[in-house]
Order: sequence, then structure tokens, then C-alpha cells
Amino acid sequence: MSSVPRPRVAALALAVGLVLADSSIVVLALPQIYRDLDTSVAGVTWVLVSFNLVMALVAVPAAHLARRVGPGRATAVGLAVFAGAGIACGLSSELSTLIAARCVQALGGAAAVTAVLELLPTTVGSERRAVTIWAIAGATGAALGPAVGGLLTELVSWQSIFLVQAPLALVAGVPVLAVARHEAATGVLATELRRTGRPHLLANVALAMVSAAIAAALFLLVLLLIEGWRLTPIGAAVVVSVTPLAALLGARLEPEAVSARARAAAGAILISGGLGALALLPKAEVALTLPPQLLVGIGLSLVLSALTETALSGRAPQAIHGGWTISARHAGVAIGLIALTPLFTSDIAQQRRDAVDAGTAVVLDSRVSPLLKLDLSRRIDERLESERGRVPTIGPAFEPLPEDPADRASVLRLRSELQDQLDRGATHAFSPSFGLGALLGLLALVPIGLARRVDL
Amino acid sequence: MSATRQARALVISALIASLALTGVYLAAGGASYVPAKTQDPCKHRPWRNPQGIEEIVEQFSFSALDGAACELGVSRERLARALATPRSRERFMQRYGIDDTELARALRAGLVRAVDDAEAAGALSPLLAGPLRETVRRVPADQAIELIHDARALLDNVQRFLEPARGLLEQFLPGLSP
Repeated sequence: MSSVPRPRVAALALAVGLVLADSSIVVLALPQIYRDLDTSVAGVTWVLVSFNLVMALVAVPAAHLARRVGPGRATAVGLAVFAGAGIACGLSSELSTLIAARCVQALGGAAAVTAVLELLPTTVGSERRAVTIWAIAGATGAALGPAVGGLLTELVSWQSIFLVQAPLALVAGVPVLAVARHEAATGVLATELRRTGRPHLLANVALAMVSAAIAAALFLLVLLLIEGWRLTPIGAAVVVSVTPLAALLGARLEPEAVSARARAAAGAILISGGLGALALLPKAEVALTLPPQLLVGIGLSLVLSALTETALSGRAPQAIHGGWTISARHAGVAIGLIALTPLFTSDIAQQRRDAVDAGTAVVLDSRVSPLLKLDLSRRIDERLESERGRVPTIGPAFEPLPEDPADRASVLRLRSELQDQLDRGATHAFSPSFGLGALLGLLALVPIGLARRVDL
Repeated sequence: MSATRQARALVISALIASLALTGVYLAAGGASYVPAKTQDPCKHRPWRNPQGIEEIVEQFSFSALDGAACELGVSRERLARALATPRSRERFMQRYGIDDTELARALRAGLVRAVDDAEAAGALSPLLAGPLRETVRRVPADQAIELIHDARALLDNVQRFLEPARGLLEQFLPGLSP
């Protein structure tokens, strides 16, 4: 172990964590981007979808390329492209340029993250240890991404998420330059070109399905917290941190003696259970999202590690098979987002209309004076318009409160009833999407169950 | 414990935890939410207690809103918010592709329905309902909105018109009697 170059291992782990964090880091920034760039919820989803889609499409070709040009050079160039595209993302003032830059970022990221898996075995001296470091770095990045993104969005801006990545990517690339120079000078690749074995189809299909379910959990929960329940990005970051914390807890509790198939099945069941509970939230209360997140987090750590180990175990070359797992995970996320976005955007719009109409009905049918009712209707309409499609905090529409004590009491009761209608409507709008996510998690049990030979 | 039993225990624990949590949320009313539905504006709503000017004015407004909303194919609540200000009216007309003529026609139809409902509820004498119906059929859109917001002026005018025949007022306009 003493001969292991720790700075290089740390740099390679940083590169993997940084790239895989990018599939989720913008989740908490999406509502801000949505408002700043004056777009729709469906449009802003592509900031996330484009990155994951390109990662899914190019991960395997990038792995092949990395083995041809040399993993050192592929990592260095990949990180440089990732950093440059990150700066372009941060400077984007239009959705189209942001999405284009995200696609380029994914190209660089795919090259780097798959090439690192080829570099790590020679750096740490063991293929199994290399896979472990690679998997932990990726999982840590993906788990920390949303919280870090939320903090940066609130403390600085959404642009800072991308701008901060550039220097970090360059730092991660510095120790790799020596390898790249050596490859360029000698023309010798760090690893010999071996025949590529077939990917583990069932493990990768299960990875894709589980990733789609996890994407649903994370993306929908963030939108529910910020757009539905009006939490700040920092507040939402704190709340959704429960999932990665539970994942870390799950990783520590993971029973090593248990087969990968059983761990994968247990993980998929927990994710489905967590998503099922999110689909059945009885009230619009943050505390009620914590137990489901606990299940999703523990399930995530069990299923991702088991399926990644299965997909890579005994297969060579590692970069190509690592590329397949990256491709499967990101394809799952992209498909999950593409499938769920239309469902919940139409639901949330309809629910909002229904809730506002029901709330106005409460006002019109109330016992306050007719003129006050009409005035309240006007103020509610203005409030809705000012919130631009977001579920509004309706309180300001009721201010100033009437001086007459009877009217005042009625108006306060109306305000509470209307806000309750809006909050419950917003929460309910997410239920079908969470339910679909739970179903995806359960469906992952099919390939997991079929993979009878996945035991390690 | 053997690896197989550990594996079984892990999967069963995951199943129990998942079912328990979803069961608790279900029992707490997780599936009970049904969005409150607004009533169909085309359906007749009986007037509640049509006694006293305040009640009559309010019920008149609601009937007029229902009638106009029915014509336009929107909810009464949506139309009430739309008619709150000229800006909200513009936004509403743009969103639903309604022009000035269509809006005016719908508002007049709403007022006619309000007169019909007032008559049916016994708040307006049949002798007055006829002329009132003819009057509201001709009002311009802005005035129709004012009447929907507050029909007090219209009903006051009816009262002033009948001043010479004060003795008959109670018979014709029982709800307006002091």
C-alpha cells in the first residue's frame, strides 16, 4: 500500500465524484434556472436530461476510445472538456446554450470517468480495489451533488455550480498529466488491449430501472419541496440530505456475506417502499418525507453497489464494463425524467387550477361581505399571477386584514382553508409520479430475480 | 446464520419496512385526498334565504356569474377572479380566446339568468322581472360587470322607479322591503 500514489488516487476519485455529481447537482438549482431563463418546467428538465442522455450514449464509446488513445490522455482531455463546458454552462444566459454546454460537459465527463476505471487498477495495484474506489467515489459524488448544488444556488447563484467545477476538474487532471505525457512520449498504452466480453445485460437493465426510480425520488422530491411547499434551496438541500446520509448508513450496515442478488432485491424493495410512501403523503409536512427518504437511501446503497459489482465482476476490460454501468445508470435517469416530467407537469398545472378554483369557491361561499369577497378574488388572482405558475403563498392576498373582528376572523379562516387546498393539491399532484417511480423500482426485481448467476 | 438465511432475512426485512411505512401513510389518509370540486355553473343553484338587500345582491351576483360562466364554459370561480380588474379580464380573455363581443354576450346572459333566478326565488316580482330582463339584455359589458359586482344600484333604481307606488313595493319586491 505504501507504493500507492495517494495524490493520484485522490485526484482520480475526485474526477469520478465530480462527473457523477453532475447528473444530480443541478436538481436544486432547477427552479431558479426555470425562473431566471424564463422557461417551462418541462424545458428546464432538459438541463438534467441532456447531461444524462449524452452520458448514457457516449459512455461505452468513450471507454473504447480511452483504451485506444490511452486512459491518461483520455482522462486529461475529458476533464479539460468537462471544465471548459462547465464555464460555458455558468456563462449561459439562454436555455438552449445551457443545454448545449451540458451535452459537451457530458462528453468530457464520460471520457474521464470511464478512462479513470482503466487507470485505477494500475495505480492501486488491484482491479477489485480499483472498482471499489471507483464505485464509492461515484456514489459519494451522486449523493452529495444535490445538497452542494442547493447550497451554492442559495449562497451564490446557480451559475456558481458550474463555475466551481472548472478549477476542481483541473485540479483532478494535474496528476494525470504525467501519465498522459508518458503515453504521448512512448506511444505505449497503460493497459493492453484485450478482447471485450459481453456486458452483464440483466444487471445493467436492473441498474437502469433502479436509477430511473431514484431519479424520480430525487427530482420530484426537490420540486415538491421548492415549488410545492415553497422551501428555499438551502432548506430543500437540508431535507434531501437525508437520502445520502441514509445511503452512507446503509453502506456501513451492508452485510458482506449476503449475496449480491439478495442485496439488490432488498434495495429495490426499499426504494419502491420509500417512493410508495412519498406517493401517499397524508399531509404537506416536511417531516413526513424523512422516513421514505431513509428507505430510499438505504435501498440505494444496497442496490447500486450490488448491481455494479455484479456487472463488473470477472469481466474485462473494466473500463468498457464500467462504461456499460455508467450508460445504464444515466439512461435510467434520463428515461425516468422524460417519462415522469409530462405526467407531473400536467398534474401540477391541473391540481393548481382545481385548488385555486376550490379556494375561490370557499371565499365566494363564505359569510364575509360581498364586496370583501370580490376584493379577495381580485387579490388572489394578482397573487397567482405574481407567482408565475408556482404554488403560491396565499397569505399576502389577505392583507391588510379587515378591521371588523367578525370579518377578520372569517378572513383568517378563509386564508387557512385556501392555503390548505393549495398545499394538498400540490402534494397530490406528485403522487402519480412517485407511484410510477415505485413501480419502476418493483419492476427492477424482474431482471434481479432472473439473474440467478449474479452471486459473487 | 447461513448466508442463505441472512439473504432471506434481509429481503423480508426490506419488505416489512416498506409495507409498514406505506401502510402507516395509507392509514393516516394518504390516499384520501380528493381535490374539492367546484360546481357546474350550468346547473341551477337554489338561492339561500333571499331576504334582505345584502343577500339578494349577493345571490344576484352569483347567479349572474354562474350564467356567464356557463356560457363561456369556465367555472364561476375562474370568472369571478377574471372580472376582478381590467387586467385580469384581459388575461382571461387572452387565455381562453374570448373576444369583447363574446364576453359581453355571456355577461348579459348571466344577468338574464340572475333575474330569472331572483324571480323564481320570490325575491323579484314577475311584473318587474320582465322590464329588468329587457334592460340587462342591452347593457354594455363594463356596466354588466358593475352589475355583477354590485347589483345594488340596479335594484335601487327599480325601487326609485316604484317610489310613487310605494304601497305596492312590498308586493312587487318583497326582498327589498325595509
